[in-house]
Amino acid sequence: MSDYLTFALPKGRIMQDSMDLFARIGITCPEMDDPGRKLVFENRADKLRFMAVRSQDVPTYVEHGCADIGVVGKDTLLEQDKDLYEPLDLQFGYCRLVVAEPKELRQEDDPAGWSNIRVATKYPNVTEKYFAAKGVQVEVIKLYGSIELAPLVGLAERIVDLVSTGGTMRENGLVEVETIAEITSRLIINRASLKTKHRRIIRLIEDLEQIIEHGPRISG
Amino acid sequence: MPNTIETRLPTGVKDFLPVKAAKLDYLQNTLRSVYRSWGFRPVAPAVLEDLAVLELGLGTDLREKTFRFDDRQTGRLVAFPPDMTPQIARIAATRMRDMPLPFRLCYNGRVLRHTEQRLGKDREIFQSGVELIGLNGPEADAEMIAMAVKCLQAVGAGEFTIDIGQVEFLRGVLNGLPLDPVQSRTVRTAIASKDTSGLQQLLRDLPLTDQQRSELLALPRLYGGREILAQARDSIANPASQAALDNLEKILEVLTVYGVEEHITLDLGEMRGFDYHSGLIFQGFLSGFGQAVCAGGRYDGLTGRYGFPAPATGFAFNLYSLLFALDRILEERAGEGTDFLLFSPGQNKAPAQRLAATLRSQGYSVARDIIERDQAASLDYARRMHYRYLLVLDATQEKLTLIRTSDGETNSVAPAKIESGQFQI
Repeated sequence: MSDYLTFALPKGRIMQDSMDLFARIGITCPEMDDPGRKLVFENRADKLRFMAVRSQDVPTYVEHGCADIGVVGKDTLLEQDKDLYEPLDLQFGYCRLVVAEPKELRQEDDPAGWSNIRVATKYPNVTEKYFAAKGVQVEVIKLYGSIELAPLVGLAERIVDLVSTGGTMRENGLVEVETIAEITSRLIINRASLKTKHRRIIRLIEDLEQIIEHGPRISG
Repeated sequence: MPNTIETRLPTGVKDFLPVKAAKLDYLQNTLRSVYRSWGFRPVAPAVLEDLAVLELGLGTDLREKTFRFDDRQTGRLVAFPPDMTPQIARIAATRMRDMPLPFRLCYNGRVLRHTEQRLGKDREIFQSGVELIGLNGPEADAEMIAMAVKCLQAVGAGEFTIDIGQVEFLRGVLNGLPLDPVQSRTVRTAIASKDTSGLQQLLRDLPLTDQQRSELLALPRLYGGREILAQARDSIANPASQAALDNLEKILEVLTVYGVEEHITLDLGEMRGFDYHSGLIFQGFLSGFGQAVCAGGRYDGLTGRYGFPAPATGFAFNLYSLLFALDRILEERAGEGTDFLLFSPGQNKAPAQRLAATLRSQGYSVARDIIERDQAASLDYARRMHYRYLLVLDATQEKLTLIRTSDGETNSVAPAKIESGQFQI
């Protein structure tokens, strides 16, 4: 088992982007072309294994060492604060984590004057930390999806959420107030794996670094 | 029959049943014998400490994780230690201060730490470790690493690495930077997670010289084999860091003499224990296991907090991690159950009792099947409870049959052979 290099990748778009990137440094998995309902894919010849997991679970698999390497958004890393290495910004999956509120509220609102506010978000830890640093007391309402709905129905006046194009927010009458962080996908590595498989992993990082530096920056 | 009484255990703590407990026992005994062979003698610290006293030796991180409650008799706060090293430091500094240095001490015990729940993390940690108090210099540091390697070999670990860092090397780069505490913390966090791109972004906005920037940016990449020492020499110029590299090289020389250098990797950007340690630090990793199984390093300031300044170094194993990581190897080494279950259907039990006593005096482990039952039931019990053999003394008290529980292989044994000490399994 331990001579395999195991990857935890978030199901969906990021998994595809990651595999496209990995293919450029010779890391492939033909078994994945016909995924069906499988969650684990192997390339026995090159001793590689790929697991498809929920993006929020990627850091957990990697922290426990069930996977050596993972790809995950910086938003998830900020929220979970796990004990991991994150040596590489893969520069895809670009978006921003922002504070937003309804357009009508924005017109008369001054963020510098906030003292206590109510915020709906999928990111309670990031939200609390961000506002605590500004000296603003925040009451966080944790939601699991469709965050834009919260201000429309009066659950919270403001939200903290990811935006890429801003389309969803605009359509729901919300405008951005502040950017908390710029988000891209990161390569994360289990601490023990970096030590016990350092030759393979250092090479992987260096190879990826080469093509990321030379390749075009993907955004959107 | 299901138990209807609710008997839940708090999360993060475990009971160990005989099979696992035997493995834990094996780990403790094996490690202790390595410690003994290097001249270390056991100390047994108290299970409770006065919180204020304990906190003298704890960093912020462990202070937050300490289980504390109030002592009804005095109204003072008392605590279960989250780590045994501060306790050993206290014992050395107070109880042993008049004895000649150095002290070579070892210990073995459970500590408690608050952890995040629902993440599969233990609150109870079983530590086994050593402290070497009163010695400075590379040979003492090398002794710790060589011992950690010998310990891992002794418990049967195959592929593993001891990953070495040097806190003074980092201090050389980080001290004296014109950063406020918040900036300094974010820079350290980025280095700790080897987040090169995050670090780059941070440094862009900080008032640093090009030299300072390039030294900081080099840190997250200074890990790997011995070759990175040369890289570090080239990329980091300050005298404190260079002195730390000299120290590392001397330690590595001693490790070569001990013949353990193949297990060594280096990580000069390792920030773990930055607040607490004062020189060489290290962690042990087993191939295929996601967490460190042991950690240690130099902590020259610790005994001084208890009024007895002395250089010191040490390390501790997390036995539950070792148990989990080496489960299959331990199965072979500690998986064997009791040698014999002695079954005797006759009315007179005295011969069976005498036979059991004889076998025990020859070093075998023997239990008498005292319950009245038939041989098949006795064999079934022996199988399920991990006995290696069922030994049957028949009703005539003359015929002795040996049945191996794993495959039922049956042999007869002459009772005289056992009495004369010629019997072997």
